[in-house]
Amino acid sequence: MTKFVIRRAIQAIPVLFGITIVVYGILLAAPGGPEAKFANNPRMTQEAKDKFIKAWGLDQPIPIQYCRWMGLCNPETEGTMLGSLPTPAAFIGPSGLPNFLPTVMSGATNGLLHGDLGRSINSGEPVVDRIARAALPTFILAGIALVVWLSIAITMGVYAAIHRYSLFDNAATVFSYVGFAMPTFWLGIMLIFIFSGPGLNILPAGGMTETRLSPPFGSDQYWAYFGQHPVQALTDIGKHLILPVITLVVVNIAGDSRFVRASMLEALGQDFVRTAKAKGLPARVVNFKHALRNALLPVITNIGLEIPFLFTGAIVTETIFSWPGIGKLTIDATREFDYPILMGVLLVTSVLVVFANLLADIAYGYVDPRIKY
Amino acid sequence: MTETSTERPVAGAPPRDDILLDVRNLKTYFRVMDGVVPAVDGVNFSLGKGHTLGIVGESGSGKSVTALTVMRLLDIPPAEIGEDSEAWFDGRDLLKLPESDMRRIRGNDIAMIFQEPLTSLNPVFTVGDQIAEQVELHMKVKAREARDRAVEMLRLVGIPSPERRAKQYPHELSGGMRQRVMIGMALSCEPKLLIADEPTTALDVTVQAQILELLKAIQERTGAALILITHDLGVVAEMVDNVIVMYAGQVVEQGTVDQVLLEPRMPYTMGLIESIPTVEKRGGRLSAISGVVPSPFHLPPHCRFEPRCPYRWETCRTVTPELYNAGDGRVARCHLHLVEATARREAAIAQHRQNMAMGRRFTGAPDRLGDR
Repeated sequence: MTKFVIRRAIQAIPVLFGITIVVYGILLAAPGGPEAKFANNPRMTQEAKDKFIKAWGLDQPIPIQYCRWMGLCNPETEGTMLGSLPTPAAFIGPSGLPNFLPTVMSGATNGLLHGDLGRSINSGEPVVDRIARAALPTFILAGIALVVWLSIAITMGVYAAIHRYSLFDNAATVFSYVGFAMPTFWLGIMLIFIFSGPGLNILPAGGMTETRLSPPFGSDQYWAYFGQHPVQALTDIGKHLILPVITLVVVNIAGDSRFVRASMLEALGQDFVRTAKAKGLPARVVNFKHALRNALLPVITNIGLEIPFLFTGAIVTETIFSWPGIGKLTIDATREFDYPILMGVLLVTSVLVVFANLLADIAYGYVDPRIKY
Repeated sequence: MTETSTERPVAGAPPRDDILLDVRNLKTYFRVMDGVVPAVDGVNFSLGKGHTLGIVGESGSGKSVTALTVMRLLDIPPAEIGEDSEAWFDGRDLLKLPESDMRRIRGNDIAMIFQEPLTSLNPVFTVGDQIAEQVELHMKVKAREARDRAVEMLRLVGIPSPERRAKQYPHELSGGMRQRVMIGMALSCEPKLLIADEPTTALDVTVQAQILELLKAIQERTGAALILITHDLGVVAEMVDNVIVMYAGQVVEQGTVDQVLLEPRMPYTMGLIESIPTVEKRGGRLSAISGVVPSPFHLPPHCRFEPRCPYRWETCRTVTPELYNAGDGRVARCHLHLVEATARREAAIAQHRQNMAMGRRFTGAPDRLGDR
């Protein structure tokens, strides 16, 4: 098992390297570039624009930009060779050793390899800080939604499979189709309309906290307030959570419960279930011990693939409910042409997907005795 | 101990004491989208305590469904069991028992072995646990004792180092070992009746013989009655006292092994026997019964074998054949026994003997008889 994990971790290195190239490439392919935000600004002079481009290193050829962003090249070393490639000298860090080595050896602090994802073009804050700040709200919302929807989806799917074609099963089928067909943005807005509109007005329409009552979430003042009034603060967040959680749960239950149902039906149709019945085991044991254990194997893979969601969050849902998480950060960064932030979010997401897959594989080895690493 | 349908006790009353299983007018239908499939259509048989019975027939003839109906292992719906069907076991009609009582019988009094030992064992539990689970349930013993019993059963069915094997998962065992596990599991609660549904079909030929020997030895030692479901007449010849031949959901011939195998009365049985490959027939074409089993949606209205039968005549298409008493306790479902068909019957028997002697194909009606 240890060997397997180590092997997979080593295999992940070229994958992750490939991911950086793809992430970089995707954003290059997007029209505009960081300077595009000035396009409709009449007060922006060409001179100022050039200064901006030079300050952010956007005048450099793409391979050099990538090389610096990765932390392979020293940003202080100028010059190109063969038209657009970095010179060998560019790979030498401030201390005289290769730039990609850890900071203590190379003296370099720039780029991904040194844990630096650059700074936000708009606020100047380090990208890492922005992402870290948005991660907690997303984790709270996505975590609660994930737990709720998985518990409901598994219960629903298993029950529907055991009582196939029953009233419950048919109702669940209809619910799934409706839920699956319902766009998040529509459902979210309808929920706001119903529960936060002038009629009922019992739940907040958006945000994570009541801004009139508490400092902005995540600030030092907020945590001081949280320490003084924990119950009040938690109730406040809880109230804000209800609508986005419902939105996410309804939409996601639909697909997952169908998946669990199909998986459970397949398990129930297996020969060993017939054997279990022929042994005289009660239906409860047949269903929940013999069938369910097998039905959950593919579900585990599915859950593994949903883990990155805890970080990426739901872009649409977070935007509708102004939830200060990663999803909203992504949308805002896109709108403002904040490339460093976008690249940071994409990169962290991709890395999480790689590791979530690894995690799912490891979990699989524990629950399925047929799999040996 | 098979009996003819004419000597049956009154409907609704239990059979004699020495009869372990008495199946009467068993009918099983499947209600599917396209209509109703009569998978088992009026099957009667009885099995004495400690006796052995073989049920043979092609795929889809209703052999397995008969066993599954008696075990009440079919989902209802889509399956449906005839209202006047009865299956008396040990003085009780299984088809009328409440599910909770039926559960106490399954695995305890009647145990079943299935065809495919790999898929019939749960991949995520050790084989020891799977046997112990049943022992714990029926014998009301502690987990510890149940585990010991599981190891003991594995030893009984000839698995080497059973303590170690008990802790292994099904995929870690070979096909033959897995089937031994299934047999050990089936015998773990000392059942009165063992139903083996194609127990050797999925196994290598060399292993088949071992498994059959094991089944026979254990059946003799424990005194359990055995129903062996198979399409392999060779297996039947070695294993059982009595045979039922099924075709399209019906019993077409029934008697002792010697009666049915040596002097078949029904052309379908003759064909089955002739299609056993033997060393003597080496070199020639393998014989087969021409045609296919009729679709259950479009069964021939009278004799169901008629479209494939080389000896058919007008009556086969106009009169539904019933099981007739062919003497010495054997029955068959065929119009060839009628006086009008004497010549035809004798030709069929002669042809069968010749085929058996020369190992020739069974297919097609002999030209000199003419078809109609």
